[in-house]
Amino acid sequence: MDPILSVHIKLLAVDLLSLNVQSYGPLTFTHKNRPIARAESLGVVVSRERKDKFLKFLVDDGTGCIPCILWLNHHSFAQRSHPIDLELKARMALEYAEKIQLGLLVRVRGRITVFMGVIQITVADVVLERDPNMELLHWLDCIRMSRRYSDVNTLSRQSIS
Amino acid sequence: MASSSAIQHGIPATLQELEPSSPLFKQGESLRVTGKLQTYNAETAVAIIADGGTSLKIHTQYLRGISFRIGSVYQFIGELLIQSDNEVILQARVGRNVDGIDLNLYYQSLQFLRKFETEFMNSRAT
Repeated sequence: MDPILSVHIKLLAVDLLSLNVQSYGPLTFTHKNRPIARAESLGVVVSRERKDKFLKFLVDDGTGCIPCILWLNHHSFAQRSHPIDLELKARMALEYAEKIQLGLLVRVRGRITVFMGVIQITVADVVLERDPNMELLHWLDCIRMSRRYSDVNTLSRQSIS
Repeated sequence: MASSSAIQHGIPATLQELEPSSPLFKQGESLRVTGKLQTYNAETAVAIIADGGTSLKIHTQYLRGISFRIGSVYQFIGELLIQSDNEVILQARVGRNVDGIDLNLYYQSLQFLRKFETEFMNSRAT
C-alpha cells in the first residue's frame, strides 16, 4: 500500500474540493495522480449544525469552505469495537464537538469522503489553534507540498519518456 | 463533484483593495478582512477597523461571544454592502481576535496564496 494513504495530507480547500474521485470499485481520491485517503485542513469555522448523531461544520481556509462531519454515534458501532475504545472515542468526539464554535481557528484531520456528490472530511481529530500565524504557515505548507507533488510528477514523466 | 455549499468562503482582502476599481469591490462579495479596531459602538454594533491608512465599517450585530477592545486586531468574514455613495460596510458573519498576527507575513503569504490559486485555476483550464 502507498504509505501516503495512511498520512494526513495538508491541502487547501481549492485543492481538496477538486480532487479526482474514482467512483467505480472502492472510492479513491487522487491528488496530482497520487492516491490519497486522508487530509488536514486549517481554517475558520463559519457554519455549525449539531444533531444527535453528528456535528456538521464548514471550515473556511480563505480558498474555499470545506464540509466536515464529526460522528457522535459511536454506540451504534458497539459490536465492531472494544467497549473501552468506543467509550474513549465517544468522549473525545463530544469534546471536539464542544470545541468547534463559530469564528474559531481549527485544524481538522480525517478521512476524505463524499456525501451527496460533495467531498468532505470525516473528522478524526480537531485542534484549536490559538496562534493566528498558524494559518499562514498552513497556507505556505500546502503550497509547498502541492508544488512538490507537481515537480515529482513532472520528473516521473520525464524519466519515462 | 457538486458545489460544496451555499456559504461562500471569504476571499482574503486588504482594506486598501476595497475601492471601486478593485475586482473585489462587488455588492455581496464574501470577504475576509483584517485590521486594528479603531472604534466600536455597542448601541449600533458597528465597529471600525483600520490598516495601512484605510478604514472599514463592520456591522457586527450577528456576532456572538466576541469582545471588542480598541487597539486589538480583528479579522471578520462576511458580505460587502456597497451603499449609494460608494461607502462600504462589511456585514460580518464571523469574527475573531487575531492579536499577535504578523500582518507583514500575512500580506506576503496572501500574495503566495493568490499566485497559487491563479496557477491552480489555469492548470485546470488547460
